[in-house]
Amino acid sequence: MKLGFRGKIYLGFFSLLLIQGLVIFFWVSHVVKESMLEELKNRGISIGISLSARMVEPILGMDFLRMKVLVDETVQLGDDIFYTFVLDEEENPLIHTFKQGFPVALKTANTVLNNQKGSIQLLDIGGQLIYDYAIPVILNDNRLGTLRLGLFRTRAEKAVNKIIIYVVVTIIVAILIAGFVGTLLLNPVTKSIKKLHESSEQALMGNLDVRTAPLLKRTCWETMQCHQKECPAYKNYHHRCWYLVGTLCPDCVEGEYAKKIDSCQQCEVYKRCSGDEIQTLAESFDVMTLSLKDNLSDLKSAESILNEQKDLLQMILDAIPDFISLQDHEGRYVSVNRAFCEMLDKNKEDIVGRVNDDLFSGNQVEQYNREDKRILETGIPLVKENRVPGPKSPKWMHVVKIPVSKTKDRVKGLVCSGRDITRLKAVQEQLTQAQKMESVGRLAAGVAHEINTPLGIILGYAQLLLEDVEKKGQMYNDVATIVKQTKICSKIVADLLNFSYSSESNIIIFNINDAIEEVLGVVEHTFNLNHVMVKQEYHKAPLLMKGDKGKIKQVFINLLNNAFAAIGKNGNIFVTTGIGKTQKEIKVSISDTGIGIAKENISKIFEPFYTTKSPDQGTGLGLSVTFGIIKEHNGTIEVYSPPLSGNKEEQGTQFVVALPSGLNSV
Amino acid sequence: MKYGWMVLLLFLLFPGCGEDESAIKVDLSIKEQIVIKEELGVITYAYLPQYSHTVSHTRHHSLIQYLRKETGLNIKQIFPDTFDQHMKMVGQKKIDISFSNPFVYIKIAHRYGAKAFARIVEMDGKDSFRGQIICRADNSSIQTLSDCRNKRWIAVDSTSAGGYLFPLGHFIDHGITKMDFKEIAFAPGPGGKQEKVVLSVYTGKYDFGTIREGSLDVVVDRIDINKIRIISISDSYPGWMYAARKNLDKKIVEKLKQAFEKLNFNRKDHREILEAADFIKVISSSDSDFDSVRQLAVKVGISLDE
Repeated sequence: MKLGFRGKIYLGFFSLLLIQGLVIFFWVSHVVKESMLEELKNRGISIGISLSARMVEPILGMDFLRMKVLVDETVQLGDDIFYTFVLDEEENPLIHTFKQGFPVALKTANTVLNNQKGSIQLLDIGGQLIYDYAIPVILNDNRLGTLRLGLFRTRAEKAVNKIIIYVVVTIIVAILIAGFVGTLLLNPVTKSIKKLHESSEQALMGNLDVRTAPLLKRTCWETMQCHQKECPAYKNYHHRCWYLVGTLCPDCVEGEYAKKIDSCQQCEVYKRCSGDEIQTLAESFDVMTLSLKDNLSDLKSAESILNEQKDLLQMILDAIPDFISLQDHEGRYVSVNRAFCEMLDKNKEDIVGRVNDDLFSGNQVEQYNREDKRILETGIPLVKENRVPGPKSPKWMHVVKIPVSKTKDRVKGLVCSGRDITRLKAVQEQLTQAQKMESVGRLAAGVAHEINTPLGIILGYAQLLLEDVEKKGQMYNDVATIVKQTKICSKIVADLLNFSYSSESNIIIFNINDAIEEVLGVVEHTFNLNHVMVKQEYHKAPLLMKGDKGKIKQVFINLLNNAFAAIGKNGNIFVTTGIGKTQKEIKVSISDTGIGIAKENISKIFEPFYTTKSPDQGTGLGLSVTFGIIKEHNGTIEVYSPPLSGNKEEQGTQFVVALPSGLNSV
Repeated sequence: MKYGWMVLLLFLLFPGCGEDESAIKVDLSIKEQIVIKEELGVITYAYLPQYSHTVSHTRHHSLIQYLRKETGLNIKQIFPDTFDQHMKMVGQKKIDISFSNPFVYIKIAHRYGAKAFARIVEMDGKDSFRGQIICRADNSSIQTLSDCRNKRWIAVDSTSAGGYLFPLGHFIDHGITKMDFKEIAFAPGPGGKQEKVVLSVYTGKYDFGTIREGSLDVVVDRIDINKIRIISISDSYPGWMYAARKNLDKKIVEKLKQAFEKLNFNRKDHREILEAADFIKVISSSDSDFDSVRQLAVKVGISLDE
C-alpha cells in the first residue's frame, strides 16, 4: 500500500524517535554500565584509600579492636561490600571480616606495589564476580601493610539492569509522549497539505474555483477600520489584500503582487494577519488558481482568435490553386496547403514534419535538397520552371522558393510556391506551332500563287489535248490522268490559298441557315447515294451574321465531307443551328455517327496536312482551312468524340462551331 | 552511501560491544585462623603518645632506622595508646627504650626502675622546655592568668609535663590551685592529645588549655593559630629524655648512647633525622637531671605512685 504524506511523516517521525530511542538506550545502557562499573571501582578505591588512612594508627598501635571495628564498619557500608581484610608488611592477615576463617587464596589473589594508588582485580568466586581492591597502607614511604576490599560486581550489574529497565521504560514513555505531541503538531500541517493536494488535483482537473485556505479571521478592513466597499479586498474573506490587484489602501503601492508586496510587508495588516508558512502557501495557492483562471480565460480567448486566424489562413492557402509549402531551416516541412498535398497525393499529416527525402525520390531529392541548401545559405530566392512527373502525364510547374528570415543574418526557413503551367506550356507550344504554320502558310501561299497560273495553263492545254485525242486510246487515258491530277493539284493550290488567307474576303450579311442549305443542296445527293442521311434542325428564326459567306460555306462543306467520310455508308449526319451563349453568337453543330476520332488524335486534327485518309482522298488541309476561316471570323470550333449529346456508347464526332454574328443581335 | 548510514547506525547502537574483563578464579573454601606471632630479639622503642601514632612514627621513623643501622640492633617502634599504657609497658618490659617527658620519666623511674641515659636538646637549642597556657584570641574574659579562675581547663593528660604538670605548677606559683577551676578535663582518646587540647580551645569547648611549648606548630596546618592566644608560659624544666627499662642490657644502652651521641646536626643525613624528630641533639643524661621535676610534682601534690 502506498503511504500518504501523513503516513510518511508519521513513519519518519516515529522511525526517528525509535532510532533515537534505540541509540539513547544503547548509549545510556553502555554509559550507565561503564559508569556503574567505574563508579564501583572508584567507590572501592575510595573506600579502600579512606580505610587505609584510618588503618595507619591501629596498625602502628597494633590495635586489633580498632582494626576489627574499622573493617566491620566498612563491610556494613553497603550490601555490595563482600569482605575487608588487612595484611601486614609480610602479607600475613592481621584482621578480616570472614566469620568462618580467612580464605587463604585471597592473600595472593591481588597485589599492589608501594608506588601504586591501588590495584583492582576481578575475582570469580564461583557464581559471583568480585572486584578485589588492594590498597597499600603507607606511612612516610614505609609500607605498614595492605588493605584488601571485595565488592560484588554482580550486584552492580543488577543495579545496572534495573537502571536499563528504567531507561527503556522512560524512552518508551518519551517516544509515546513525543508521538502524541508530534501528532498534535503535525495534524494541522498534514491537514493543510492534504487540502492543498486536493485543491491542486481539482485545479489539474480544471476546477480553478478552489478554496484551500480557511476563511479569514482577521481582515484588513477590520484592522484598518476601512469602509471602502469598492475595494476588491473589502468583505473578501477568501483572499488576503496583499495578493489582490487594485486595492485601495492609501499606503499600498499599485500593481500586482510582485510590485506591492514590499510595501505591504510594512503594513500593519500584513504584520497582524499573515499566518505561518502553510497558511501563506494555501492563501497564495488560492490566489494563484484565481490568477490562473483569469489568465486561462484570456489564453482561451486568444487561442480562439488564433485558431480562427489560422483556419482563415489555411483556408486561403488551400483555396489558392498554386501549391505552397513552408520548410524550416533544416528543410523539414512545417506547413503545406491542399494543392501541395494533392500534388504529392498525400495527406497533410503525412507531409508535415517530413523532409524531401521522405516525400520525393531519385534525382528530385538531390535537386531539391541542393536548391534548398543554397537558398538557406545564400538567402537568394529561386525562380524556375520545373517538369515533374504527374499521375497521368508529366506536368510543368512554375516554382518560386523564397527564404524566410528570422533575423537579418539568419534564415529561418523557406517558402515554396508552385503553379501548374502545363496548359500554359501547351498553349505556348500551340502558339509556336501556329506561328510556324503561319510561316508555312505564307510560304505555301506564295508557292501556290506562283504554281496556280502554270497549273491553269497545264490544265487548259491538257483539256484541249483531251478533246483532240481519240477517247478510246491510250493517249486519251494518259491525258485524262494528267487532267485529273492537275485538277487535284489545283485543288491543293486552292486549299493552300484559302489556308493562307490569301484569298480575298467578300463580307456580307447572310442567313447561316441558307448557307448550310446551299451546301447541303450540293452534297446531299452524293450522301444519299451512300445511305447517309442528313437531318437538319435549324433555328426557327434566320441566323444572320456578317462574314464571308463563301468561306463559311467552305467550312460547312469541309465538316460535312469529314462527317460523310467518317460514316462511309449507312449513317446519319445531324446539323443543328441556334443561338450561342449570347445573343450575338451563332452556334452550329454538325455531328455524325461515324467511326469517331481517337483521343490521342483529337489534338492533331487541326494541324495542316494531318489526315487519316489515303493521299488520293484528302490533302489534310480541310480542318486547317476550316480552323483558319473560323478564326478569321473570330469564332471557335470544338470537337467532341463521341458527341456531347449522344450516348457514351454511341460512336461519332460532333463539331460545334460558334461564330459571332458581327451584328448587334442575331 | 546507504551502507554508510547503516554502519553509522551500528556504531551508534553498539558502542560498547567488546571483550569483558577477565576474572581470576578463587576458591574461598580453604580457610585458616589468624595467629599473630611475636618477633624475638626485638628492642622495642616507644615515643610517649603525646601526639598521634602517625606523628610519632613520622618523627622517629628515620631515627629508628638510623639506630638500627648504627647499633645493629633489631629496634622496632611500638605505639602505646596512652601515657599510662606507655608507663605500664615499660614496667611490663614491653618497651625497652622509652622516649618520654621528664614527668613520666620520674614516674617510671620511681615505679619500674627505668634509668635515664640521654636527653634531647630542642630545636631552639635548649635542653629544657616549658608549658603554655592558651585561650581563644577573642576570649575577652581571660586576659591574665588569674582570669583562669572558675574557667574550664583542658589539659593534655594527667601525666603530661608540658601539657599539665608545668602549667599546674605555674598556676600554684601564682596562687591558683586546682580547686579554683570550674573544670579540669584531659584530652580524650589515644594519641594526638596536644592537638586535641588546641582544637578544644579553638572550637570554644573549653575556656583555656595547657600544651607543651611548640605544639601550636604541629597544628599550624589544621587551624589558624592566630586565633589562639598564649596567656602565660610556665618555668622551664628538663626536656624529653631517653630511659632504658629496668635490667636492659647495659651494652645495648651503651650502643644506643654512642649512636645518639654521634648524631651531628651539621651532617646532612643526620640533620634530616634530627629535624624529623624535632630536636637538634641528643646528649648524655642521668637520673639526677630530673630532680627539679620531682620537686615540682611534690609542689603540685602529685604522687608518683598514682
